[in-house]
Amino acid sequence: MRVALLLLGYAALVATAAPPLARAAWVVRAPRLAICVWQALSVTVVVSAVLAGLALIVPTVPVSGSLAALLQACALMLRERYATPGGAVVAASGISLALVLLGRVGWCLAAGLLRARGARSRHAAVLAMVGRTHVDPGVTVLDDDRPVAYCLPGHGHRIVLTSAALAVLEPEELDAVIAHERAHIRQRHHLILVGAEALERAFPRVPLFAVAAEQTRRLVEMAADDAAIARTGPLSLAAALVELAGSVAPAASLAASGGHAAGRVRRLLAGHRPLGRAAAWGGALVAGALLAFPLVLAAQPAVAATGMNSCPLREAPRSRSVSPECPAAFRGCLVCSPPSPKAHRYSG
Amino acid sequence: MRGFGDLEQAIMDAVWVADEPLTVREVRECLNRGRSQGLAYNTVQTVMEILHRKGWLSRAKDGRAFRYRATKSREEYAASLIDQVWASGADRTATLVRLFDEMDEEEVAEVRAALAARRRGQRS
Repeated sequence: MRVALLLLGYAALVATAAPPLARAAWVVRAPRLAICVWQALSVTVVVSAVLAGLALIVPTVPVSGSLAALLQACALMLRERYATPGGAVVAASGISLALVLLGRVGWCLAAGLLRARGARSRHAAVLAMVGRTHVDPGVTVLDDDRPVAYCLPGHGHRIVLTSAALAVLEPEELDAVIAHERAHIRQRHHLILVGAEALERAFPRVPLFAVAAEQTRRLVEMAADDAAIARTGPLSLAAALVELAGSVAPAASLAASGGHAAGRVRRLLAGHRPLGRAAAWGGALVAGALLAFPLVLAAQPAVAATGMNSCPLREAPRSRSVSPECPAAFRGCLVCSPPSPKAHRYSG
Repeated sequence: MRGFGDLEQAIMDAVWVADEPLTVREVRECLNRGRSQGLAYNTVQTVMEILHRKGWLSRAKDGRAFRYRATKSREEYAASLIDQVWASGADRTATLVRLFDEMDEEEVAEVRAALAARRRGQRS
């Protein structure tokens, strides 16, 4: 119970403490690191909650018995360390919690992937028929009077520009736009977005996931901007963004989604100041620690139980009363088996 | 003509360019112009029937043959694709990644001025 509560507390702490990170200044200097940190935060919350559910079923006899056999640890110790008041009811709710969480995440992820893939292949089928090829490989031109640039990621990826976009962009601006879209494709941003949006859809009540998805959408654009300006310099890309965004009347349906374009242009004009190497490594370490912590929290009592050569003696009277199930459930416990040198651990 | 998709595309191009509905024979003549090894009538007919079934072509009986026309113009299809991109709000980003994003007029004026200032600074 203590382990499960600690894990749930950790998940709740991360979920409530993380969202203000969106306002941190360093994220715009290292967008790819920031994406990793948001992913780590989201994953660690889900993993902690699932592990909390699993920790609740450890005290049940079949689980503690097979876990003890696996770890060559004492089943009684395991049961004590993960002990919960309420027995079977708590164990049942624990396993349901874990299964519901995993099922919900898996379902939303699979549905998101399939939906995106279906929409993309329908779009690509029409595009192949009506688009014209451009001199740049992988670029398709559509005749339309709205200046638009976008990419169709994934298998058979395409970069699409409208004829109006080609008309308003200078050659170096066009290079910047294509470099930006290539970066989206190369860095697999569509998969990052599918993951973030699946969690957002799976748990709409958890603000962390909504903030993480929103931030990821903003940060992948910045990551692609950084890749583009490495090729063409910031001014061409900034000018291209102004041309493409500025000539578009904001659609009513999009107004709510919150444009990041102006912020991105300001960022490009302010000059790129990548995060120092030490700070970047620090961030990566924090992300790793976030992911590792719930695993340590959940496994620590079990690991401690593995280190014991025998069960604590004070368990002896209690275990004697349940001796009929001993051979199966408490294998490896000194108190259940005749005291021989080999009986300290379950072998085989 | 490499693959089946290319043939579909060439047929649609021929139909889109023509002013009036075309028969299979006319499309075939159009495709075989300037081609040493011509396409068989049956090939063109089969692909045009597939395009009809997929909804790209509509047809009407004219004497003993069908006359095919495109259900929508190339421009209408292109516009429908851009409409999709336009409509792809926050929940559709995994499908398409847009470069453009909306800015209001004030923001456009502000960033344009900043951009011009940077350019002047770079030149001098």
